[in-house]
Amino acid sequence: MPVVDASTLSRLTGVKLRARAVVEGVLSGLHKSPHQGQSVEFAEHKEYAPGDELRHLDWKAFGKFDRYYVKRFEHETNLRAVMVVDASGSMAYGSGPLNKLDVARTLAGALSYLLVRQQDATGLTVFSGGQLTDVPPRANASHLNVVLDALDDTGAHGTTDLAQAADHLAEKLPRRALICVFSDFLDDRADALRRLLALKARRHDVAVFHIVDPLELTFPFEDPTLFLSMEDDRRLEVNPREIRESYLEEFGRFLAETKQTCTAADVDYERVRTDDPLDSVLLRFLARRQGR
Amino acid sequence: MTFAHPLLLWGCLGALIPLLVHLFDRRRPRPHPFGAIAFVLKSQKRTASRLRLRRLLLYTLRTLILLAVPIALARPELSQKGAVTAGLGPMATVIVLDDSLSMRWRDTRGLSGQTLFEHAKTEAKAAARELMPEEPATALVCGAAPAPPAPLSFDRARMLQLLDDAQPTWEAADSSRCLELAARALEDSPLPGKRIVLVSDFTATSLRTEAPLPTVAGLKGERIRPEVVLRDAAAGLDALPNHALLDVKVEPAPQVDPKAFQFTFTARNFSDEAMKDVELQLKVDGRVVSKGFFDLPPHGTGQKALTHRFEGGPVAVVEGVLAPDALTEDDTRTVVLPVPRELTALVVNGAPSPQKFRDEAFFVEAALQAGGSPVRAVVRDADAAFREDFSSYDVIFLLNVEAPRGDVAQRLKAFVESGHGLFISMGDRVEPDAWNQAMGAVLPRRLKLYKTAVEPGSSDVGARSARLSQVMAEHPVLLPFTGRAREGLMSARFSRYMLLEPGAEGGQVLGTLDDGAPALVAMRRGRGQVLLFTSTVDRDWSDFSIRTSFLPLMQRIAAWLSGALEEREELKVTVGDTATLQTQLPLSEVDLLGPEGLELKLRKQPDGALSAGPLPAPGAWLAKSEGQVLPALSFAVSVDAAESDLTRLKPDELKAFFGDDAVKGGSSSTESKAPIWTWLIVAAVLAFFLEGLLLKR
Repeated sequence: MPVVDASTLSRLTGVKLRARAVVEGVLSGLHKSPHQGQSVEFAEHKEYAPGDELRHLDWKAFGKFDRYYVKRFEHETNLRAVMVVDASGSMAYGSGPLNKLDVARTLAGALSYLLVRQQDATGLTVFSGGQLTDVPPRANASHLNVVLDALDDTGAHGTTDLAQAADHLAEKLPRRALICVFSDFLDDRADALRRLLALKARRHDVAVFHIVDPLELTFPFEDPTLFLSMEDDRRLEVNPREIRESYLEEFGRFLAETKQTCTAADVDYERVRTDDPLDSVLLRFLARRQGR
Repeated sequence: MTFAHPLLLWGCLGALIPLLVHLFDRRRPRPHPFGAIAFVLKSQKRTASRLRLRRLLLYTLRTLILLAVPIALARPELSQKGAVTAGLGPMATVIVLDDSLSMRWRDTRGLSGQTLFEHAKTEAKAAARELMPEEPATALVCGAAPAPPAPLSFDRARMLQLLDDAQPTWEAADSSRCLELAARALEDSPLPGKRIVLVSDFTATSLRTEAPLPTVAGLKGERIRPEVVLRDAAAGLDALPNHALLDVKVEPAPQVDPKAFQFTFTARNFSDEAMKDVELQLKVDGRVVSKGFFDLPPHGTGQKALTHRFEGGPVAVVEGVLAPDALTEDDTRTVVLPVPRELTALVVNGAPSPQKFRDEAFFVEAALQAGGSPVRAVVRDADAAFREDFSSYDVIFLLNVEAPRGDVAQRLKAFVESGHGLFISMGDRVEPDAWNQAMGAVLPRRLKLYKTAVEPGSSDVGARSARLSQVMAEHPVLLPFTGRAREGLMSARFSRYMLLEPGAEGGQVLGTLDDGAPALVAMRRGRGQVLLFTSTVDRDWSDFSIRTSFLPLMQRIAAWLSGALEEREELKVTVGDTATLQTQLPLSEVDLLGPEGLELKLRKQPDGALSAGPLPAPGAWLAKSEGQVLPALSFAVSVDAAESDLTRLKPDELKAFFGDDAVKGGSSSTESKAPIWTWLIVAAVLAFFLEGLLLKR
């Protein structure tokens, strides 16, 4: 299986190239497409009016009632997906070639690439520091460039506000959609993740990509260090050796709680290290989706 | 507190280093933007109080390390307030090491099972090493007869070698003399400080507390008490339990066998707990022949008698061995016993008769063949007897025998003078003149004439017969005749007896008749003995032969004449004593072989006696001359029973003797075992270890 590692991706400039590289890795790893055929769900009949799609004319109804009716479907397309990318300041942290935001953007781009390639609509929502940027879901190939360009333009700044993003998505997505969240979930608010997961109750399909850096996992610092917050002006001078044990305990508990909350809400949870090969991450994700 | 090297205390300023580092070492931390700072903040908040405590501990430990090292190098020493010579700087020191028997007590608390003496050596060497380099010192190994110690010097190696070479003795130490010698040695030093370090087990017998503590002449001639440091070799032990064999009494046991002896052992329990079934082994020449068991109450004694019949001689080494305890050296008592050989008596029957009860030798033969007899009797008539080789006999009984011919008389004289015994009894065949002529040189007194108190066979024999009126009860032959036995002896009636000429040469009259005539006269002739009985040993002239006292008296006479009763006085020799031995043997050179290959020469004294000593070890000491063991000069040496009492002196008693101010490390205190600087180093190492642990966490 080809593996696209972080250092290789880091040599590619822009989300477009990185996403494509990842997708190619994914495609060569797939044995069959996870989405074959159309997913059309009949909803109602509507009397024909000029402008309606002639291919949706129900000829059996015409034979029965001698009137023209067109079929209306639940989904206009195969699938609607929204990539929700956290672009808060903390996402700029990275100890390797790629920071967390790079990973989030690449994964979101690659996933969009795959969706559009199979005629599914894909959109984008970027949230950071109270600002939200939306690209509505579309299925055409030219729309992919819009999404990828928007991802390319995304920079990390501001605080993380998952709750605001959740409220915004609930409002903007009236119909069922696949919502892929790419974030480090470093939101101080207690119920932020739960509010995001509440989208599941609105019949949306939610998948979470929890992005962490290896240094956050191991906290290998030795010398006295002045830690600076990446989202606000907090700072702390500390001897890392003295608090390592306690930090690892706290951070481990945070990771476990996040995963447990997602699992309890029947949400796909994927922990992604910034040094993980991203095609493997996507393949793992797709394989799990296929198994659902 | 005093310091050997006070300048090194400047090193204590090093303890400020952690504080200075804390104050001035403000290294700029490396800034690091970090996404998960919330968790860093939370961890820092959670561990803040613990970290503060840890930092405080680290600071304390580092300060302690930096303080302990220079203080330890300065060699601090605690000096008690009021110590007589304390605070005078360097002190001249004498280390007195007790090497008495009680120091052989084995301490079984640890795996090593060292003796108190080994502990004491360690203590003494530690004391030597703790001395300041500028302190002159010497060591004195304190025995029973201590010699003055070597002059004070700074040669520690020689002193340590002396202490290393010291061995425990078998004697009690004369601690008063040792302290006196130590005090004299200290006077040679110009230093004002004087110190005696006494290393001992501090048992009740180790110190003569009635003697005053010696003083030392000060610089101005005043008498000052030296500082006394007590180092307890038995530190941590309140009691030293011990049992010991204190004594053994040896007696012949003729009721069992002529060659049997009874050994009565006395054992004592010196501990506070009762001892049950303590085994006692009787060993003869190293072989266990009998066993007994003691039940000993706390601080009580017990006796146990064991009997053994000896087979061969000439000497047997008999040991009583108690079940071993921590002090095994006093669990054995040794006896060197001359084993009686089988004696033969030639009974010369001067008036044989086919009728046994009329036979002159009938009663004597019966007595000497009865149980318990020390001799084997061979009865011959005079003709046959005088043809015999006398040298194969130990004693000859001449019973109513005609005066022997000249050559026989000469042979009899030579027989006696060579160390054998001769018994002569009277009768109608004994002609006084002929006897005086033939045997005058042998007889204790010359015979005079017969006296008839009453005609034998007459009706008033009972009333007119002579009786014994006085006997020499202290003579070995008559020793057993006390009480009822004496009555049996005194009730014998003599109708006729031989009167004797006055004894110009002075024979020893063992018994006289009521008219003052001698009945039993003894005399030494050369190396032998002659005993003259002035009546008959059959029923012709007396009824003595049918009296109950006849049989034991004849056996006793046979034993005495053959030398079996001539036991030398039991020699009580203790380790360290000089043994004096009386002998008439013409000996050129005698070696004395002791236990464990020890050897001494017997020295001849002006009075002819032989002496050996001081005897260094307990056990059997066998005298040998020309390869032959000499029973008369062999003896056993025992340990001093006083050393078996290991009752410990109480701290109060020690203070009462040495004074409160002079005692630095009493028997109850064990903290003086390690000097302060050692503990400081231990504390520093511990602090270093703890610091490492804290840093690792």
